[in-house]
Amino acid sequence: MAKDGDNGWKEYVWNPRTREFLGRTASSWGLILLFYLVFYIFLAGMFCLTMYVMLQTLDDHKPKWQDRLSTPGMVIRPKADEYYEITYNTQKTESWDMYAQTLDKFLSPYNNTAQVEKNNVCKPDEYFKQEDSGEVKNNPKRSCQFNRTILDECSGITDRYYGYQEGKPCIIIKLNRVIGMLPGKDGQAPFVTCGAKKEDNEKIGELQYFPPNGTFNLMYYPYYGKKAQVNYSQPLVAVKFLNITTNEDVNIECRINANNIPTGSERDKWAGRVSFKLRINTI
Amino acid sequence: MGDKDKSPKKKKGGKDMDELKKEVPITEHKMSIEEVCRKFQTDCVQGLTNAKAAEYLIRDGPNALTPPPTTPEWVKFCRQLFGGFSVLLWTGAVLCFLAYAIQAATEDDPAGDNLYLGIVLTAVVVITGCFSYFQEAKSSKIMESFKNMVPQQALVIREGEKVQINAEEVVGGDLVEVKGGDRIPADIRVVSAHGCKVDNSSLTGESEPQSRSPDNTHDNPLETRNVAFFSTNCVEGTARGIVICTGDHTVMGRIATLTSGLETGKTPIAKEIEHFIHIITGVAVFLGVTFFILAIVLGYSWLEAVIFLIGIIVANVPEGLLATVTVCLTLTAKRMAKKNCLVKNLEAVETLGSTSTICSDKTGTLTQNRMTVAHMWFDNQIHEADTTEDQSGASFDKSSVTWLSLARVAGLCNRAQFKAGQDALPILKRDVAGDASESALLKCIELCCGSVRANRDRNKKVAEIPFNSTNKYQLSIHETEDTNDNRYLLVMKGAPERILDCCSTIMVQGKEQPMDEELKESFQNAYMELGGLGERVLGFCHTMLAEDQYPKGFAFDTDDVNFQTDQLCFIGLMSMIDPPRAAVPDAVGKCRSAGIKVIMVTGDHPITAKAIAKGVGIISEGNETVEDIAARLNIPVSQVNPRDAKACVIHGTDLKDLSQDQMDDILRNHTEIVFARTSPQQKLIIVEGCQRLGAIVAVTGDGVNDSPALKKADIGVAMGISGSDVSKQAADMILLDDNFASIVTGVEEGRLIFDNLKKSIAYTLTSNIPEITPFLLFICANIPLPLGTITILCIDLGTDMVPAISLAYETAESDIMKRQPRNPFRDKLVNERLISIAYGQIGMIQAVAGFFAYFVILAENGFLPSRLVGIRLNWDDRSVNDLEDSYGQQWTYEQRKIVEFTCHTAFFVSIVVVQWADVIICKTRRNSVFQQGMRNKILIFGLFEETALAAFLSYCPGMDVALRMYPLKPSWWFCAFPYSFLIFVYDEVRKLLLRRNPGGWVERETYY
Repeated sequence: MAKDGDNGWKEYVWNPRTREFLGRTASSWGLILLFYLVFYIFLAGMFCLTMYVMLQTLDDHKPKWQDRLSTPGMVIRPKADEYYEITYNTQKTESWDMYAQTLDKFLSPYNNTAQVEKNNVCKPDEYFKQEDSGEVKNNPKRSCQFNRTILDECSGITDRYYGYQEGKPCIIIKLNRVIGMLPGKDGQAPFVTCGAKKEDNEKIGELQYFPPNGTFNLMYYPYYGKKAQVNYSQPLVAVKFLNITTNEDVNIECRINANNIPTGSERDKWAGRVSFKLRINTI
Repeated sequence: MGDKDKSPKKKKGGKDMDELKKEVPITEHKMSIEEVCRKFQTDCVQGLTNAKAAEYLIRDGPNALTPPPTTPEWVKFCRQLFGGFSVLLWTGAVLCFLAYAIQAATEDDPAGDNLYLGIVLTAVVVITGCFSYFQEAKSSKIMESFKNMVPQQALVIREGEKVQINAEEVVGGDLVEVKGGDRIPADIRVVSAHGCKVDNSSLTGESEPQSRSPDNTHDNPLETRNVAFFSTNCVEGTARGIVICTGDHTVMGRIATLTSGLETGKTPIAKEIEHFIHIITGVAVFLGVTFFILAIVLGYSWLEAVIFLIGIIVANVPEGLLATVTVCLTLTAKRMAKKNCLVKNLEAVETLGSTSTICSDKTGTLTQNRMTVAHMWFDNQIHEADTTEDQSGASFDKSSVTWLSLARVAGLCNRAQFKAGQDALPILKRDVAGDASESALLKCIELCCGSVRANRDRNKKVAEIPFNSTNKYQLSIHETEDTNDNRYLLVMKGAPERILDCCSTIMVQGKEQPMDEELKESFQNAYMELGGLGERVLGFCHTMLAEDQYPKGFAFDTDDVNFQTDQLCFIGLMSMIDPPRAAVPDAVGKCRSAGIKVIMVTGDHPITAKAIAKGVGIISEGNETVEDIAARLNIPVSQVNPRDAKACVIHGTDLKDLSQDQMDDILRNHTEIVFARTSPQQKLIIVEGCQRLGAIVAVTGDGVNDSPALKKADIGVAMGISGSDVSKQAADMILLDDNFASIVTGVEEGRLIFDNLKKSIAYTLTSNIPEITPFLLFICANIPLPLGTITILCIDLGTDMVPAISLAYETAESDIMKRQPRNPFRDKLVNERLISIAYGQIGMIQAVAGFFAYFVILAENGFLPSRLVGIRLNWDDRSVNDLEDSYGQQWTYEQRKIVEFTCHTAFFVSIVVVQWADVIICKTRRNSVFQQGMRNKILIFGLFEETALAAFLSYCPGMDVALRMYPLKPSWWFCAFPYSFLIFVYDEVRKLLLRRNPGGWVERETYY
């Protein structure tokens, strides 16, 4: 039986009598493969056609739907690890050096020279609107300068270690870019506030925001997309922890305060707020 | 593991079986009564002593058949729980739990996805398992209604006293008494009998009751007169006998044991489903392992690779399919039950459709199991009587005086009478007390000439000699109805040659004529002709006794015959047969045009069998047996080339001497076969022979003698009314109306469900491709996952279910009864063409449709296709909350995940949309939908149901949390429409080409 099956198997793979490979002759294989080739080429063509039609309906500068981005996300720098923990030891340079380096790298596009070279000085405290006039696109659109010096003590210019060495670290916060978003109503600029979570209230100590009050100036809005507004500089807010309790975990949450940004869902921990853990060891 | 354990077991089983297959070892019939008494230490007058009886009861056990072993319920349940795809799904579930355990051990805040999925998978397996189990349990419950709840009683004589005891307590050596209407409680050796007749039809298939007497008349215990068998019926008379075998040792018990010991193979549909599961499992394992390895090679972590593996398994297994198949089969079973085919075993629903040979028992299946007058010979002419069940047949001239005389004799010289209280019933349906041929005469006369009882009242019986085997006639003497005529009327009936001997004259056209040679020859011819039709012929004669010799009040002495019994006037012949059922010839014809070979297997005599076979078309007109050819050409049988004869009638004794090769030769070379005088064991051999030649065999039968064959057959069909319990136990299907024609319905339904299951599977399998490809692209192209595992389950167990089931309601595309039965080796339920269409073509279009919807949603949200490739690593990274899209906007993890889940929903909806087209194209395999029409209401309901379900899953509040499905923008529903349309057009064109070029390339490659 087994022998029989063995032979049958061999014969199935290659039958010398009928010259069949896997149950088909060469011409049969040829035909079926040709058919599938034509079929799949046609199918690919159909797919490309529908994709092409769909892409034609898209706007180059603004996605069709933005309803998922009604509450923009918030992100901190330096981004430590997956769990948003910033832990270092003031005594050990290698434990905080990387944070400083990350920030250096992150802030380099904001160097005043670069900003001056590429971007305009805008009128603060009002939206910098550059609308298209009908069919005529007003492109490329200009962007406003966000100079590194605005961050002052957290700019890394005066203190190239961003306060990490002395246990007064800077955290830089940015609001995710959303095309056309106009945060803050009635000329009220959105601003960032940070606080400790519940039991850590005592430990957080004094905070200092740069620019003052932690505002994102209105002139940086709206954003017109990377195609139209190539050199857009995302506004930043820096928070400096002046006397945070050391050698203990401190859970901190920062949120955006703007009267026209919805709070966002409970599920999304990074929309309109950002939380992280800070632990500075001194021993 | 099985091999070593199995072989000795099988051997043992085989040995037992062989022993059972041998003929019955009863010898008591050859012993004298005294010897039998001695053997059992009993007395043929006093019976056993109570003490002995008790001792024997303990030694031999109760006189009852051991019920066939049943599989415990929990084993059945486990089989459902771990059979089929369940193993794969269990693997998936275990992997899920494993993945979750690893996550729980390594992460602080593990995502619950894998745990949920594991629970869902487990639930799916358990629920579908329970579902199948209950479906099966439901159909097996049918049997319970047939269990005979009334305990049998038996009258035994112990210590000289008659006692009524439960039949179970009867022991060997008991002296038992049976009377007409009783069921014989055990195998008994008759000690004394008075006109006792037993109906052995359930044991031997002989339709005529047989007389029982203390004399040994045959060496074969089954043929001898002095043994009556357990569970046969005593029709009339009384008898006393000594019990020689009880319980499982009785002839009936041996057959029952043989039956329950037979191993039956899997049903054809079970084999097909197994084959199909192998294919799908093979594909799943192959893809799963390949991509597991690929994932590892591509640098994914073990955990991720395991999760991919789970996804591929879930996508590959059509979770809902087995439940769909079960539902489809159940629906068909219900439909068949309405048409009087009760299916015991769900899978047997389809078996009739695959059947290529039907071995049918004669008595009670093809025939009415009721002796009926078929022909008469009087006035030197054969007249045909109406034998149909509803009296729609031809009639004959009833005005002849000869006929009136014949009717009078037949009515008067007849001890049968209708049982009381049946006046409302049609004559043919009434129960009759009396012997079968007398009942036949009674009914015939009652039908033609009005009340027989009134006639008997007018012609009072004064004397009677009942039939006995030495005289071979029966006579009675009556007063005449004419009160002025004081003569007595003597009427007589019996074996024709015997009656003829008593006659000197013959009545022709109402006038007595002397019997001359010419008339005698004419009588002989008629007798031969009727006998040749397999009918039982009786002769009738009468005379008016001379008044001077036998004046009124003459004391007729029937023991010492003191009156004239010769010089009578011959009137005519009447012949009886158990006629075929009206619907049978048509049904046989239908079977034949459906390519099914119908073989008659009967315990009855060859002549009768052949006559019935010709009557119902099993031997069709113009086909001859070897003997017929020999008779026609007037040459000896040995000179006829057996190949010239398409038909043949084989006697059981010849069958015994045939080798296996000869047997195969007969079965292969004759299209029309009748086996006569076969024993239960031989029936089994015939079935095995057919199966050896690759046929799928259906056996119909009602008797206990049929049950081994019923069990061995691929599908055993028992009779619901006349069938014995043992046969019903052994069968897979029960014909509630005992009508062979119902089998045709069964064949039709079986074939239809096979076709429709193909369609259903083609439909269900198609959506596998759009389920698998997202995973493959996810792994290979590093795009965000287009379709999640939960959504896959929503398709397989949600939206696909009703449309798949609705295909079971599809009507046949062409006359399925005009084509050959499927070849179990070639025509598979799932073949490579079906896979090619479902996976390679339609499935691919569906996948493309799904991907299109996926790309549309992502693009409209800002992620153009060019941005997507390779984005996966960042996309799935929880810590990246500023992922940039094509427009420069930034997305948090949760935000883009919502878009991803919206894509899953859209992919899911797109599959629903393309499945609309798929279910419509799956309605037909060859015809255009425009030919087939859209009359399947369930299917239309299914279309709406799946759409509504999809909308519900997408829009119902809370679904975002429960199943992570999100509301779609209305425009996204339309993404798949062009593809849905493409599927429809593509398949219509394919079918058009297929119809245009029969046997062409399109048919060879795509006709599933």
